[in-house]
Amino acid sequence: MKKIQMIKNQPLSLISTTKIIQMSNVSTSYDSKNFALKGINLSIDRGTNYAIVGQSGSGKSTLLKLMNGMMISSNGTIKIDYVVPDMNDKKFKKMMHTIGYIPQSLGLIKNITVIENILIGALPRLSKIQSLFKRFPEHEIQEAKRILKLVALSGKENRKVYMLSGGEKRRVAIARALMQKPTILLADEIVSELDHVTAHEIMDLIADAQKQMNLTAIMVHHDMQLALEYANRVAVIKEGEKILEIGVEGEKIVDFQTGDMSAEEIMEMYNDDSKK
Amino acid sequence: MMTPKNNIVIGIIIALLVVASYNVDANPIEFIEGLPNLAIVVEEMLLVEPKYVPTAIWAMFETIQMAFIGTIIGFAIALPLSMLAARNLNSKYVYAPVRALLATIRTFPSILWAILFVIMVGLGPFAGVLAIIMYTIGFVSKLQYEAIETIDSDPMDAVSSIGVSKWQLIRYVVIPESASHLLSQLLYMFDYNIRQTSILGLVGAGGIGFYIINYIKFFEYGKAAVFMLIVLITVLIIDWISVKIRDKYIIKSQHGMEVTTK
Repeated sequence: MKKIQMIKNQPLSLISTTKIIQMSNVSTSYDSKNFALKGINLSIDRGTNYAIVGQSGSGKSTLLKLMNGMMISSNGTIKIDYVVPDMNDKKFKKMMHTIGYIPQSLGLIKNITVIENILIGALPRLSKIQSLFKRFPEHEIQEAKRILKLVALSGKENRKVYMLSGGEKRRVAIARALMQKPTILLADEIVSELDHVTAHEIMDLIADAQKQMNLTAIMVHHDMQLALEYANRVAVIKEGEKILEIGVEGEKIVDFQTGDMSAEEIMEMYNDDSKK
Repeated sequence: MMTPKNNIVIGIIIALLVVASYNVDANPIEFIEGLPNLAIVVEEMLLVEPKYVPTAIWAMFETIQMAFIGTIIGFAIALPLSMLAARNLNSKYVYAPVRALLATIRTFPSILWAILFVIMVGLGPFAGVLAIIMYTIGFVSKLQYEAIETIDSDPMDAVSSIGVSKWQLIRYVVIPESASHLLSQLLYMFDYNIRQTSILGLVGAGGIGFYIINYIKFFEYGKAAVFMLIVLITVLIIDWISVKIRDKYIIKSQHGMEVTTK
């Protein structure tokens, strides 16, 4: 990381320039006194691999929940593909299936099989009768099997989820999200409890899927090193505020927010914070 | 830990126990004085009359069938109702009235339902079956909606964020996530219903209880004992079967491991 050079305010080459996520001056709170997030501004381009880094309780998971409509902001505006994320809004409801969301706990149904968990991603495309009787069309089953192969779980489709290892469970959660045919993938600390090798396998998998499907991946991390390794851009959240937004281009760190810090300073600042 | 607060709580409970016992005339001395009477009954009961065994088995079989129908139908009716009564799936305008309805059904013990249905459809097992259905609805629905409310909110949130309908959420998350609890409740209810169907005969609603109550009325304890013994054996067998089912399907899924049985 010492090799990283600082280039200030240099634009990052991106796949597309359309903004898929826009947040301006967003604040939200769990109770009337304490803000979970304060004045967040984010602008994320389509196809970006975006990382949000911060310590526990910094508000990074809340940020993801605001993006998929599970939480509503108390102030500011949020637009996801130009639609306000609100589960009660018809327009947003129609596009919810395009947002894949993997919570930290993964949210898998442990008593059913791997393939059944993955097929849940196809539910918004099923008719009432089909879903009531679990009649998944053949092409959806084939698609699920294709994704199963992609996440390297072929042959384990009929295993119950509770029988899988931590890494395998994450693969199932990714597969379910990919089954949605999403344009955005939100993942909350998906590799935080994994060993180094498995964490990289999972991150590689997401990076591959992201390129193949032209996804916008927004991933919450605890580990700055890992975030910088994979993401085009990294936002650092501290106590509900975005204190930094940096990007990586090759071996270089690019500062997008303050423009007056060197790479070493940024890393030191983060390391100091994480030691506290 | 014994803290002063705990001591006060325990003291209050003991005080309430004494007051309540006084109010209901619960006298331990009377109990001890009555023990010889029990000995007489037990002595007479030991004069078992084996020739009644086939009749007892047949009556037990009828009881099991009544309990089976009552449990399955009651459970099937209770399930959709408990989905409506679960607070994590509905607004209070839906769950509050449904809960009130279920609480009303639960107010009556099965014996009262049996009396009601004997008046409606006449003496016999059908009245008993209807009573068991009503009792099962009231009782098991509470267990069901409580189980549904305790399921992990993460899979629910993750799947609802995909944009699925509520029915899809119930079909693909709520039922699988609470399946082990539901199966456990079904087994418990069946076990419980066999025992309570055995006493519905008291009010003429069929089953083995009809025989037991009549023999007891005529002081034929030896005959009653045969029927009671059959009830005991049946309950033990059902209990043994439910333990096996529990081991195979429930414990495994709750702890995520294989349970080895001998």
